[in-house]
Amino acid sequence: MTTTTTATFTDVSKTFGGTRALDNVHLGLSPGVTGLLGPNGAGKTTLLRVLATALGADSGRVSVLDEDLATAAGRLAVRRRLGYAPQETGFPRGFTIFGFVDYMAILKEWTGRSHRHAEVRRVVDLVGLGDVSTKRVRAVSGGQRRRVVLAQALLGHPDLLVLDEPTAGLDPEQRARLRDTLGRAGQTSTVVISTHQTEDVAALCERVIVLHTGRVRFDGPVRDLVGLASGKVWMSEEPDGRARHTWRTGTGRWRNVGEAPDGAELIEPALEDAYLLLVGESAASEIGVPA
Amino acid sequence: MTTSTPRPWHCEEAVLVRFVDGTVDPVSGASVETHLMTCATCRGTVGRLSDQDLLAGVWADVREALEAPARGRFERLMCRCGFSEETACLLAAVPAMRGAWLLAVLGATLFAVVAAAFSGQLGTATFLVLAPLAPLAGVAVSFGGDGDPAHELVVVSPYSALRLLLLRTAAVVVTAVPVTVAVGLTLPGPHWLSVAWLTPAAAGVSLTLALGPRLGHMTSATVIAALWAAAVGSALRLDVLLALVRPAAQAAFLLLALAGAARVIVDYRSLGQSWRYS
Repeated sequence: MTTTTTATFTDVSKTFGGTRALDNVHLGLSPGVTGLLGPNGAGKTTLLRVLATALGADSGRVSVLDEDLATAAGRLAVRRRLGYAPQETGFPRGFTIFGFVDYMAILKEWTGRSHRHAEVRRVVDLVGLGDVSTKRVRAVSGGQRRRVVLAQALLGHPDLLVLDEPTAGLDPEQRARLRDTLGRAGQTSTVVISTHQTEDVAALCERVIVLHTGRVRFDGPVRDLVGLASGKVWMSEEPDGRARHTWRTGTGRWRNVGEAPDGAELIEPALEDAYLLLVGESAASEIGVPA
Repeated sequence: MTTSTPRPWHCEEAVLVRFVDGTVDPVSGASVETHLMTCATCRGTVGRLSDQDLLAGVWADVREALEAPARGRFERLMCRCGFSEETACLLAAVPAMRGAWLLAVLGATLFAVVAAAFSGQLGTATFLVLAPLAPLAGVAVSFGGDGDPAHELVVVSPYSALRLLLLRTAAVVVTAVPVTVAVGLTLPGPHWLSVAWLTPAAAGVSLTLALGPRLGHMTSATVIAALWAAAVGSALRLDVLLALVRPAAQAAFLLLALAGAARVIVDYRSLGQSWRYS
């Protein structure tokens, strides 16, 4: 099986003021679902914005779908094949859900009213908003607004789907539905999602990239990341002071992550354990695990 | 004592076939219709027998009628003026196309006129300061992160940024200028004063659009407005207020407007489809 590279970052850096958001990032993306993990401020959103042509890199080269993002023609070509859901966006006043997705479809050069509206109906149904499509966007819940943003990203079966925190604000059923939708999209497209939810990555992504302080700390299959924690997760009746991270589980016992002592009751590691080992204290405080 | 539940009955398939074809006799048709109201099984059979493409088409038409957004007053007006439905939809997202914006423009201009009527030179100066600010503020709120809530999504869309920029600017000018000119005609001074602010306004709008990608549209508009207000204030103090709108000054403002427009076109051609790609 050959793997096609759809996007490459070569020594890409981006600085905001004195903060280096991306620091010589070097990576390639392929069709399938890739998860981007990292604590707040790791550079995830900056990387996705660069990939989505919303932001230019200070240095380095970004090539997406065989187009150079440094050129206007390259950016335009990518935008025609891109679906993008930013972490936060507002909505023009007075637009209904259908109306807003239709507005975005017009901006994406969909011409022909009936053809365009059929596509709008398809994506609105896909994210489960068909029943409320006539409601004003500003009047619906945060989770529904999130799905409106996802709907517009799915217009036209894009070759590159860039989603920043797509599962934020969704209930478990909606998350399961979204995973199904993204999994299907990943069969033919390159889907890149950033998330704090390691379970989303475990359930959905073939590949994971861990970013920390603007640098790529891990890039590979999810099972390989999980493998980093093999033999380093154990249970105990009391918190183990030798662990790098320890927390009380629902059973009343303590889960410990770190260099396991002799005779420890080792258990199968989860993605979250490996992530904590890799990224450390900043990630631990973010997902509610005491460091 | 035992009770028996009536056994459900279903229409014969041959009757349903004729019902779907529209060849069933009226009495049987009415009977089938009544039965279908309460029988899911027969409804399922009718669904199976029906032309699926036809059903999908009818359902799409029903949804189209229900879901297609109702066009607002401005959108309907623009469509009547010959704009396409797509263009009207794009402009509906611009803050300057809303009633509240027009009311704000009207209010500010009326305030300036009232001030002019009661305060002579000071009032005229107030009008001259405020009148060009209407289109300037409209441009500022229609672009950039502050004015366009979906700015980032618009930026990464393939739609021509230059065309969108021109459409939005035209919308601002079309809504702000007639109101201000009409109100300005009621000024106690010479009638030409009601249009004398148009060239400085054009220069302000043009420079805001040119500087917007570098400084942000709101910041650019604020700086330009402050400079204009300072110029009017100085002219008032030196008792040369109308010199700001005499032919020589008008020519200078026209040159500024053209320079700004040229910069915008050059920028957008070189930046391609984005008004802020940094």
